[in-house]
Amino acid sequence: MCHEVKLEFIFLLPIFLPLLTSIFLFLNKKLFNELVTNFFTLNGSLLSFAIASYSFIALALNKFKAVNIELFQWISNPDISIGFTLDGLSGIMLVLVTGLSFVIQLFSTSYMEKDDNHSNYFVYFNFFVFSMLLLVMSSNFLVMFFGWELVGLSSYLLISFWSKKTEAAKAGNKAFVINRVGDFGFLIGLMIILDTFNTFDFYEILHNSTGVNENTITAISLFLLLGAFGKSAQFPLFSWLPDAMEGPTPASALIHAATMVTAGVFMLVRISPLLQHSKLASLLIIVFGLITALLAAFSAINQYDIKKVLAYSTISQLGFMFIAIGAGAYVAAIFHLVTHAFFKALLFLGAGAVIHSMHHEQDIRKMGGLRKKMPVTAAMMGIGTLAISGIPPLAGFWSKDEILASVFANGGIYYIFWALTLGAAFLTAFYMGRHWLLIFEKDNGFDHSDVSEAPKAMTRPLLLLGMFSVFIGFINTPFFHGLEKVLHVTLENVEVTHLPEGITLVVLAVLSIGAGFTGLIIAFLLFGIELHKRIDLQKFKLEYPINLIKDLSLNVLYLNKFGNLFFVSGMKNLSRKVAVVVDGMLIDGSVNFVSTAFNKTSKITSTTQTGMVRNYVVYFGLFLLLLITLFLATPMVPR
Amino acid sequence: MVEALLFFAPASLIIIGALIVIFARNPVHNAMGLVMTLVSLAIIYITLNATFVAMVQMLVYAGAVMTLFLFVIMMIGVDKKEQSTDSIKGQTFLVSGVFLILISLLAYVAISSDFKWDLWFPPVEYDTEGTPQLIAGVLFTEWIFPFEIISILLIVATAAAIALAYDTKKRNSNA
Amino acid sequence: MTQRKEIVMLEVTTDWYLTLAAMLFSIGFLGMMIRKNALIMFMCIELMLNAVNLTFISASKHFGQIDGQVFVFFVLVVAAAEVVVGLAIIVSIFRKQSSASVDVLNVSRG
Repeated sequence: MCHEVKLEFIFLLPIFLPLLTSIFLFLNKKLFNELVTNFFTLNGSLLSFAIASYSFIALALNKFKAVNIELFQWISNPDISIGFTLDGLSGIMLVLVTGLSFVIQLFSTSYMEKDDNHSNYFVYFNFFVFSMLLLVMSSNFLVMFFGWELVGLSSYLLISFWSKKTEAAKAGNKAFVINRVGDFGFLIGLMIILDTFNTFDFYEILHNSTGVNENTITAISLFLLLGAFGKSAQFPLFSWLPDAMEGPTPASALIHAATMVTAGVFMLVRISPLLQHSKLASLLIIVFGLITALLAAFSAINQYDIKKVLAYSTISQLGFMFIAIGAGAYVAAIFHLVTHAFFKALLFLGAGAVIHSMHHEQDIRKMGGLRKKMPVTAAMMGIGTLAISGIPPLAGFWSKDEILASVFANGGIYYIFWALTLGAAFLTAFYMGRHWLLIFEKDNGFDHSDVSEAPKAMTRPLLLLGMFSVFIGFINTPFFHGLEKVLHVTLENVEVTHLPEGITLVVLAVLSIGAGFTGLIIAFLLFGIELHKRIDLQKFKLEYPINLIKDLSLNVLYLNKFGNLFFVSGMKNLSRKVAVVVDGMLIDGSVNFVSTAFNKTSKITSTTQTGMVRNYVVYFGLFLLLLITLFLATPMVPR
Repeated sequence: MVEALLFFAPASLIIIGALIVIFARNPVHNAMGLVMTLVSLAIIYITLNATFVAMVQMLVYAGAVMTLFLFVIMMIGVDKKEQSTDSIKGQTFLVSGVFLILISLLAYVAISSDFKWDLWFPPVEYDTEGTPQLIAGVLFTEWIFPFEIISILLIVATAAAIALAYDTKKRNSNA
Repeated sequence: MTQRKEIVMLEVTTDWYLTLAAMLFSIGFLGMMIRKNALIMFMCIELMLNAVNLTFISASKHFGQIDGQVFVFFVLVVAAAEVVVGLAIIVSIFRKQSSASVDVLNVSRG
């Protein structure tokens, strides 16, 4: 009882505390120096995390019964209000976001040191945390939509943070515009929802979805799915994420690895009671997730920028999450979301440490042999690489294996999907192995004498995240279904795909481990000991295909160029045509035509004004005759 | 028979006089034509029983107004022999157009009513007399207001005429 | 007109006078359009006024009321006043220029 009373409003604090910090730092931008800013922001986020953890524990002790708070009702019919909810799903996200926000801010205080816009960064960062929490803690679609849009805004602000750089500004624009395409779908979905259910409240909608026409549900799902595609960078709305690497690395770590891009996944799991009724939507989700996972993994194998590899990796892993949702394994999707958040953030922060020590060099071909210079970073990134490759007992193995097993369990065409997913897992291990080896192992002969280990404010978060990457997987193993218990109340009406039992599960696990190991071994052979330079490849005539693969991979199958040409240039041309033809010739032309017509007509009619009396007499006579004619023409009856 | 003659003789004089007015070259001939028209009109008025008006017309119009016209002709118009028609572009065309329309209208009216004017109201049986007594009886009772106004008009016209035609140069040089 | 003589048998009705007035009016109007001497144009105006007078008088006889003749009286007076003022204007204008043509007076040309 006393837990419930305290729980009522306290879980709102972590949402609004970052907002207050943001506003506070914004107002005092000129006054505070770096130290004071760091002090406030770190303490603020730590406090948020503490309260968030407390709320989560209280929720757990209360058997994960959802707590809803309605702040105020905007419209009564249809039912639209501002409210927040704390249940298993939002609780996990709350703890994850606040925790990662603290760790990454700690890293940022060192990374953004001596930057001109130091205080702006933390203003935007805290605002982002607030927006994300708004999104995940919402109890209805309206608040979620607010959060959705604000997250897009914060992402734009942070991507184009170094706004003097043209590429950064362009990348920010691109991210926002592509997000907008997704948001268009989201908005239409919201309209259909309001029309069908007459409310935005999650509880109402998700518990009363049985009577609704399946076509309507499919329509809603498809439009909301478009929104999720935009936010979570699925095919075809993914090209903004690699460009978003222009932003500061810690921002990329938080936004484009752990939180914002997972908003799409979160939203789909939120509406899972609706989604499960639409077979078409689930099928589309898994197909697109698969395409994305494979496409991104393929593109990652030959990227040269240290962050771009990680960006494509994120896209690929998000594809995995979508595959899980499409296969009905909602718990697995959330599980992978959590584990991925940790090791991806770890990898990004590690990359940030490397970039910082290499004096902002980002090309991995120019690195190599950094293991001796940066041992802690190398070790932690190694852990991250192993985690993402799915090597037990690290976190990635448990979540990825659960996804693969759930896909397999669906049977039929899903066997093919399983095989393709396994292929994507193999590629993941391969490119991550290549990534780590090229940075830390292989000595290319470059001069790295001035490279040293990163400062403590950077390595400590790395250590923390490394530790989590190792142990976080244990929250949901086949032996201990912790996450399932957490999400049980949230997913009570949902038919979650169950894992296969017994020997099937073991075989599948072995296969996925095998895929991971194979990938790493091949990477080691190619980039560790460079087997291919020692064998004469001419014999196998493999040079052309290998070069082709390399080229296609680097250029992301030329999809970016195609998209640029088709959409961007196409739109520009169309706009120019419209401006010239429609606006210039048609509209201006017709307006000008009217005025010229007036001018000409008046010139013609003014020729009658001769000033000569006799002409006027003639006119007089003419019109008099006209009057007489009219007089004669109308029939008259004498009185 | 007598009535018809009494009508046609002055009528033809009127028409001839009007045609002289518009077609003559010498301005004095124009004035003479106008006098002929005015006098013949007076005769017609008498046949219509408007005796007082006929006398007034003779006195005022044919007497005073025409004299005034002749004075002005003497002053400006007489020694110039100008052409009767003009050189304004398109004037001839317009005039002939109006003329044609006029003629066709009249012909249409005449033919469509079979040369019988269909007057709405039948004429009265008794004869009115245009005696001064009758006119005065109405003029000073019912029409007193317009009467006063045209008196003022006459005074104003006189004053205006003097003001307009006053030649200060000549006056000063004379005095 | 010859037709009328034969059919109507020499009865001079009101419409004869109206026809005469119409003819007089048209002649006057045509004259205004044709001539360019200001004085002649004035005389044509007088023709038109007289045609109107004739109409009034014949109407007065037709209806048996005296008001037509009173009105003719007024028209007469006004015509006289108008002639006076008009001729004064013509005199003052044509003192400046030697020609008596109205065609040069196109100041109000638009």
